[in-house]
Amino acid sequence: MSRIINSGLEELSATLHKMGELAYHTVLAALRECVENRDAYNEIREMSEALVSMADHVEDRAFELIARFQPVASDLRTIKSYMKIAYDFARFGRYALDMSYANQKFGGIRNCEAWIISHVKDMGEKTLSMIRLSIDSLRSHDSQLAEKVTQMEEEVDKMYFDFLDKLIERADITTRCMVSSVLIVRYLERIADHATYICESIIYIATGKKVILR
Amino acid sequence: MNHYKFRLVKDRVAFLLVHLSLTLALIPLFSVLYEVVQKGISTITIDFFISPTPTVGEKGGGAANAIQGTLITIGLASLIGIPIGLMSGVFLSEYSEHRLSIIVRFFNDVLSGIPSIIIGVFAYALIVRSIGFSVIAAAFALAIIMIPIVTRTTEEALKLVPMSIREAAIALGVPRWKTVVTIVLRSAKKAVVTGMLLSIARIAGESAPVLVTMGYWRWWFAGLDRPAANLALNVFVFAMSPFESWIALAWGSALVLILLVLGINFAVRIFTRERY
Amino acid sequence: MAPKFEIEDLNAWFGTKHVLKNINMKIEENAVTAIIGPSGCGKTTFIRCLNRMHEITPGARASGKVLFNGLDIYGDGVDPVMIRRKIGMVFQKPNPFPMMSIYDNVAAGLKLNGVKNKKIIDAAVRRSLELANLWDEVKNDLNKSGASLSGGQQQRLCIARALAVEPEVLLMDEPCSALDPIATAKIEALIRKLAENYTVVIVTHNMQQAARVSDYTAFLYLGELMEYGPTKQIFENPKHELTEKYITGKFG
Repeated sequence: MSRIINSGLEELSATLHKMGELAYHTVLAALRECVENRDAYNEIREMSEALVSMADHVEDRAFELIARFQPVASDLRTIKSYMKIAYDFARFGRYALDMSYANQKFGGIRNCEAWIISHVKDMGEKTLSMIRLSIDSLRSHDSQLAEKVTQMEEEVDKMYFDFLDKLIERADITTRCMVSSVLIVRYLERIADHATYICESIIYIATGKKVILR
Repeated sequence: MNHYKFRLVKDRVAFLLVHLSLTLALIPLFSVLYEVVQKGISTITIDFFISPTPTVGEKGGGAANAIQGTLITIGLASLIGIPIGLMSGVFLSEYSEHRLSIIVRFFNDVLSGIPSIIIGVFAYALIVRSIGFSVIAAAFALAIIMIPIVTRTTEEALKLVPMSIREAAIALGVPRWKTVVTIVLRSAKKAVVTGMLLSIARIAGESAPVLVTMGYWRWWFAGLDRPAANLALNVFVFAMSPFESWIALAWGSALVLILLVLGINFAVRIFTRERY
Repeated sequence: MAPKFEIEDLNAWFGTKHVLKNINMKIEENAVTAIIGPSGCGKTTFIRCLNRMHEITPGARASGKVLFNGLDIYGDGVDPVMIRRKIGMVFQKPNPFPMMSIYDNVAAGLKLNGVKNKKIIDAAVRRSLELANLWDEVKNDLNKSGASLSGGQQQRLCIARALAVEPEVLLMDEPCSALDPIATAKIEALIRKLAENYTVVIVTHNMQQAARVSDYTAFLYLGELMEYGPTKQIFENPKHELTEKYITGKFG
């Protein structure tokens, strides 16, 4: 039997998938801006703003579903988690914008040492694949991906701290490179955290258990 | 505990009283049945159903003419009484907001309380005096007895059909008269037909109004404007006759009459059995 | 899109009791409009005014205009019977015709309105039962009594019966109040499906039901229309203090 609430849930889920793709492309654009020589600030700002308004929409719709359809059990968990996930996706956009801002304001890392660029690139790719994983598990509501995420999150964390250690050891880095790169890896680390939160939410939808993967 | 025992005793006493009353009520019924069957069964031969009333001293003979006359009279009475009663019942139930309905209901109640002999006399004054003793006159009197019964049972039966059924039909765009004729009457069909059959059973045994309107006739049916033989009158006339064979015929007629009424009651039972 | 109903200064009485007072509202086409309000506020009377069922109760009368597709159904020379064929109704308690099979129940409206072609009736019965999500459950028992179905099935049978005469509007008077939650959920899903092609007006004393099934909600109180608007707005951000109190359960 098709239930009345289903159409609302499906709409929310569709919006979330759109947000996921958009968030992925926003972060991708910010990373490209970091390592390639191009200015994407306005583009990223637009995408980030779109993500925020979509998150607002998800929240509105979620409240409407709660007010009108008295969701219980998995329906209720789904709606609650969708609201959180929408916020996480909006955060991706916000951090991407912050990365772009670091590029604009502090000159970025384009002219820094090659190892810095390559480190940021590696970490960025890892983070992007985490975003992809979170989008995929949202599509399939697959809680099995959780372990993989935990592992990737640990890797990103390690990359983050290794990078900081290296920076401290090296004395030949310009302040400009230092500030820009620290900010950028910091944002990437935060993005990885939010991708993990998304997976936690998906496990909560699927099993009802609240887990902490970090 | 004492209270409980006391209540138990009261319960037993009430139970016994109820059953005692039931037995008392059944005694006359069964003794009548027993008497009639015992005395009448010997007359019930094939001859009884194919031969008319014997002349005095004649051997054999039967009540075939009386059965024929009774059926024709009842049939004609039903043809007059049932449609009028049915329509009056529909009117009282479906148009109860109509001012006339109070008057109709009142006179219907009065009519059902009038002794049947008075109705017979009325038919005598109205019909017998112009066309003579006849089946028509008797059927007319019997129809008048039927009308209040059919009216009342139809009204009650239709009132039992929930308003929501009528509304469902009206909301489908069915005109009101059609709703009554198709949906409401159909829903109450069993109870309505039961009422009709019971009214027929009631007039089948009427003797007084028949006596005043049709008189006695011991030949075959000879036309609606002539009298016809009648089972109830057979009982009345033959039972008081001095001839052995005629008295036997009276018992036989009584038995057939009882079987007829019983048969109608069974028909009612079968008809009202749940179809679904 | 023009509204299906435009109601102007509708008043209704039972005898001397004034039960609807100056109702003005528009009902949108192909949408579900819910009428909510405390008992005795005139919800049922209101929808019964929309297909002229109100007046069949002795002593009941109505005044004002109810424009249906632009035509005043209370205008001179308008035949209420024709109005009721266009505006179907489903009642509080399932009321299939007794002594009639499932098939005959659905066919009743057509047959009584003079349709004789068996093929047309067969097709209409099937179409209506399918539309009412009942076909699969009864297709092998079409000759069984309508009364042999469960309460929820009976109510869907009544919906099929109303749909068989191809109305444009379906009025529903607390259609789920006699049903269990599962049967209720089925009817609610059905109402949403019907809203694709029909205008549905539903009276309900269950506010959550109004929230679930309707696109627009009207709140009636003591015969007056207190608030009317999109359901989302009524339930998330009512304008009128009484609506707020009623839907939050502070009175009613």
